[in-house]
Amino acid sequence: MQAAILTQGLGKTYGRVTALEALSLRVESGEVFGFLGPNGAGKTTTIRLLLGLLRPSAGTGEVLGRPVGASGTLTRSEIGYLPGELALWPGFTGWHTLRFLERLTGRTAVDRDALLARLGLGGTDLRRTVRTYSDGMKQKLGLVQALQCRPRLVFLDEPTKGLDPLVQQSFYDIVTETRARGTTVFFSSHILPEVERVCDRVAILRAGRLVAAGTIEDVLASQRRRVRATFTAPADTSALAAFGDVVARTGTSLELLVERARVPALVRSLDALPLADLTIEPTTLEEAFLEHYR
Amino acid sequence: MSAVTIATLLRHAWARHRVTLAVISVAIGVFEFILTRLAPAPNEVSWVSSLLMTLPPEMKALIGNEIATSPGGFLAIGYGHPFFLMLLGAWIVRTSSAAVAGEIGVGTMDLLASRPVRRWQFVVSGMLTVAIGLAVIVACGWIGTAAGLWTRTLGVGSGNFVPVVTGAWLLFATWGAVGMLVGCLRRDGGQTIASTTGILAVSFVLDYVARLWLPISALRPLSLFRYYEPQVIFAAGLPATTLLVLMTTIAVSLLAAIAAINRRDL
Repeated sequence: MQAAILTQGLGKTYGRVTALEALSLRVESGEVFGFLGPNGAGKTTTIRLLLGLLRPSAGTGEVLGRPVGASGTLTRSEIGYLPGELALWPGFTGWHTLRFLERLTGRTAVDRDALLARLGLGGTDLRRTVRTYSDGMKQKLGLVQALQCRPRLVFLDEPTKGLDPLVQQSFYDIVTETRARGTTVFFSSHILPEVERVCDRVAILRAGRLVAAGTIEDVLASQRRRVRATFTAPADTSALAAFGDVVARTGTSLELLVERARVPALVRSLDALPLADLTIEPTTLEEAFLEHYR
Repeated sequence: MSAVTIATLLRHAWARHRVTLAVISVAIGVFEFILTRLAPAPNEVSWVSSLLMTLPPEMKALIGNEIATSPGGFLAIGYGHPFFLMLLGAWIVRTSSAAVAGEIGVGTMDLLASRPVRRWQFVVSGMLTVAIGLAVIVACGWIGTAAGLWTRTLGVGSGNFVPVVTGAWLLFATWGAVGMLVGCLRRDGGQTIASTTGILAVSFVLDYVARLWLPISALRPLSLFRYYEPQVIFAAGLPATTLLVLMTTIAVSLLAAIAAINRRDL
């Protein structure tokens, strides 16, 4: 299968500041790819490099099988983009904005009406100038302009910012349907539950460097498990510290973070102690994410 | 696709600047019309000329050393008047700064440049916006003059002012190209407005001072304003040197602007 996005050692520096360092990434066609990282990790820089808005300082990249760069007009005709810091023309109406961006894309906005209905932007709203819009309405307009021409690849940078929970739900459904039509979704966010919910694979970026990538299961599997043991009587648990990091310890309880491969051995060791209860929690994406930032 | 894209960008610019264009055009038209009402009749020219000759040299330099000796010469002053120059300057500063740096500064360039638009198309559409708007403005000025001459007999035809408004258009189109270059080097509209206005002001002052102060008169050709003297153009047409210098400056500025935008981050 052809990769929708392929980068090799992609980097961007501003003087002595490194915004992105040696990013090598492969995003398959038709998947929803989560791109995680806190503010300033390099997510937006990566997207802007892939769109040809920024010139790379190092490395190469391909989008939809063509090299990234300012001259990639053919590629950009097949791309949708919702910027993280969405700016619109305040004097334009919603309709004017959507039609103008449709004409500039050069493709018919086949999905516009359906998207407007799903996101709850009505004709009255669209006849008003953007300067009268709330942040949520602007974000809806941003989502519609990104998806209205049915792109082959869409970059969504913090797409649920400002959306209320009901509209977020509609948006997640839209992402699922968009993927079902074969569109690749590059989903940049720092809201982990939504990434866990809609993405097939994820990459985690830290200070401009890729620190983890794979399916959500892969990423979680590589993380440590949280083990909580409670005892019927005070027990000597000092030997158990060798299995992982002790998070909390009292006379009758112990909490550890343990590598997944070592969990069976730990359970066998607990057998010799007066065990009352044992819980082994799978890590969440949020914990995995935080683990990389500790 | 190129023509369609540029046409789309031009419509975008029209939507953003049409009110400003209308206001400036009407103001210029009314201004030039009023001047025809104030212009001396042929039998009053000598009196007005005598009056103008009493002005201090600084004022004469500002309105043109070639003092009006005919109603037409007086009307030509209107095309070099600071009011006329400031409004044309306002148009080129506004539109040239908005085309690239303005969109970058407010963040809307992300939506434009993520579409299948080649970067040179931003420069060309920006320059066309400047030039077409200027054409509308100077045409309104000329219509103001023509309307005034239709209502009052001054012994001069409105056709005589076509070279003058063409010269004004060419001068400010050149400034527009310079503004586009500045905009392609800057990161926001405010910086571009400040820089372009600064360059315009320095150039104007250089031309003005060089006309008054002989030791630096040799520097006058360095100012673009040297190549626009409405009364000279009215009397003798557009000099070939003016055409050559201004058109070359436009071409060089636009090529430099395209090179700059192709090499920069947006």
